[in-house]
Amino acid sequence: MNLTRSVESKAATGFSPVPFATRRKFFLLAMALPAVAYVIALGVFPLVKGMWYSLYEYNLLKPARTHFVGIDNYINLLADADFRGAIANTVIFTVFSVAIELVFGFVIALALWRDDRFNRVCLTLILVPVTITPLVVGLIFKGLLLADYGMVGYYLAQWGITDPRGLFATPSTALATLIFIDIWEWTPLVALILLAGLKALPGDLLEAAAVDGATAWRTFRSITLPLMLPAVMLALTLRTIDAFRVFDSVFVTTGGGPGNSTNTLMVYAVKEGLSFFNIGKASAISNIALLCVAIIAICFILMIRHFDKKANGR
Amino acid sequence: MAQAADKPLAGITLNLASMNDQFSAVLAQIAPEFKEATGAEIKVDIMDYGSLLTKTTADFVAHTAGYDLITMDIVWAGQFAANGYTIDLNDLMKRDAKELDAADIYPKLTEALGNYKGKQVAYPFAGYANVLAYRKDLFDAAGLKAPETMEDLVAAAYKLTDPAKKQYGFVANGQKGPAVAQDWMQYNAEMGGAILDKDGKPALNSEANIKSLTVYRDLFKKAAPPGAADYDWGGREESFRQGIAATMQTWSVGAPGYYDPKTSKVVGKVDVALAPRGKGLPKIYGIGGWGLAINADAKDKQKEAAWTFIKWVTSPKIQKEMNMLGAGSYIRKSTVTDKELNAKYPFLPVLNEVFENGDGDYRPRIPEYPEIQDILGTAVNSVLVGTVEPKAALDAAQEAAAKLF
Repeated sequence: MNLTRSVESKAATGFSPVPFATRRKFFLLAMALPAVAYVIALGVFPLVKGMWYSLYEYNLLKPARTHFVGIDNYINLLADADFRGAIANTVIFTVFSVAIELVFGFVIALALWRDDRFNRVCLTLILVPVTITPLVVGLIFKGLLLADYGMVGYYLAQWGITDPRGLFATPSTALATLIFIDIWEWTPLVALILLAGLKALPGDLLEAAAVDGATAWRTFRSITLPLMLPAVMLALTLRTIDAFRVFDSVFVTTGGGPGNSTNTLMVYAVKEGLSFFNIGKASAISNIALLCVAIIAICFILMIRHFDKKANGR
Repeated sequence: MAQAADKPLAGITLNLASMNDQFSAVLAQIAPEFKEATGAEIKVDIMDYGSLLTKTTADFVAHTAGYDLITMDIVWAGQFAANGYTIDLNDLMKRDAKELDAADIYPKLTEALGNYKGKQVAYPFAGYANVLAYRKDLFDAAGLKAPETMEDLVAAAYKLTDPAKKQYGFVANGQKGPAVAQDWMQYNAEMGGAILDKDGKPALNSEANIKSLTVYRDLFKKAAPPGAADYDWGGREESFRQGIAATMQTWSVGAPGYYDPKTSKVVGKVDVALAPRGKGLPKIYGIGGWGLAINADAKDKQKEAAWTFIKWVTSPKIQKEMNMLGAGSYIRKSTVTDKELNAKYPFLPVLNEVFENGDGDYRPRIPEYPEIQDILGTAVNSVLVGTVEPKAALDAAQEAAAKLF
């Protein structure tokens, strides 16, 4: 029945027998195909391969020893105090740097909210750290903070403010110093994201609040903050995932030391993968890091939903 | 046509992966001379230690043959041999024995810089001697003689330390990683310790090792510049050139720098002497440095050209030329005893003594070396910054190292 009609319609109009809706579906699929292929080639394939490798004892330098070990790599890692230390360091680093960056970023964004020439110049200037690669930032701070030759570190040690060994060589301050560097570098980016959020706020709402005589704090708490939530969540997600993967600045300043006090997950993974070519173990570490990032992302999504419900009653 | 005859390697390009040491700039500088002589072009890719190891290993395991020639650190010999990354040079050496004048090369260097259990995985190229650089002026003023034993060195280090005057008696690498591991292994060997036992298995927590690590830590605590726990080779050399450290054990390759007023505040005040050793212990002077290896994946024509380059660059004439240019890298007796070079670098007799009596195995040249170095690098650094006691650190290190075998 259907068939006859489409044949008829072809005869009548000269178009192909496939209905428009189907053709549209095929067309859209074809358009999506390159993207799908791209994701499979660069996302799914390495991911699966990485999971596969993590089930092997697989060291490029000892090819003869390669064999399937199941989840031994993971069990060994969890039993490894260095690895647990690396997770703890990574979490401490992420929590403190992102929290402080958000607070500072918000303050800076509020300060630069009004659109005038001074603020525009300031914004350009504070963005300078973001443009420098983390590796170079690490080298700059290392040069500044060395206890014996650093332009800053020398005086800090001399005046007894820091341990004479220097900030990077003292276990109690090394991680805090790295957090400070991260804050120095990335607070401007957070400020920029939040400033964009502020600029997009509906002006009439704020005006209405002002007309109603709301205090600045009340306006901030009841209007600005809830409306800023998407921007805050964006900054939070971006920075958390990035901070969790911190590598460059740690690598060039402390190399994970002193001892293991600044060893992070990525430093550990790079050492295993690129210094010892221990692909199995390095894959396992990366997979665990990936899992952590996924859990964090899910938590954020749930948080956004929760706040959204509260704010919009949906 | 005539050109092809006298330039047999015309048209060939050899890629050389080189460590960024004093010799690398000189290598790049003299490469045109090789082209002049043979027609082959040498491209020198200069990298830092970590990149060199990563890039060349990636080249080996993927069989991409990106590099034809590789400078090989003495401690990589075990890995290179175990995996067959580079060609065995024994046959070529036998074939061209006359041309090589191998008797002029210190046998210890031929052994240490590329021989692993009879297999020549690299050809000796840049020999470094572990030496003691010390401030003669400070020693004279304090009425001290050049330290001959480790006990002398420790006593002198304490005596010459005066933080109020920014004067410290001792400096060594303290930074986590290869830096501290390598320096401590040197001191450890000199104080009678060893990394491996007689069967070649790790023995990191032996009595002798614990004792030497305790001495090393105390030196850092009381006699080294405060920031030394974070020094690598660069920081260590800098502290000596700036005149804040009175003694430093170092590789001979850095010594030309103390005589250069542009970088050194201690010109004319420094002497380079044999490294001290523990009282009553045999002479074990540390040998380090680089060999030149040929990638096993390279095409035959490239291999032959690479071998020609090795023969050329290690020849007496070019060795002298390189060292006149400040390469600081010696392998030949004739170069070390050369009058002109001795006039320029008065410490060369010390090198002769070290290369005759040296030990290239105080850092074990076994396939597991990189991991052992990493384990020690973290353990020793933890001790230096005071988070662990020497015994506990070495016990843990031993446990980790034993798993590798």
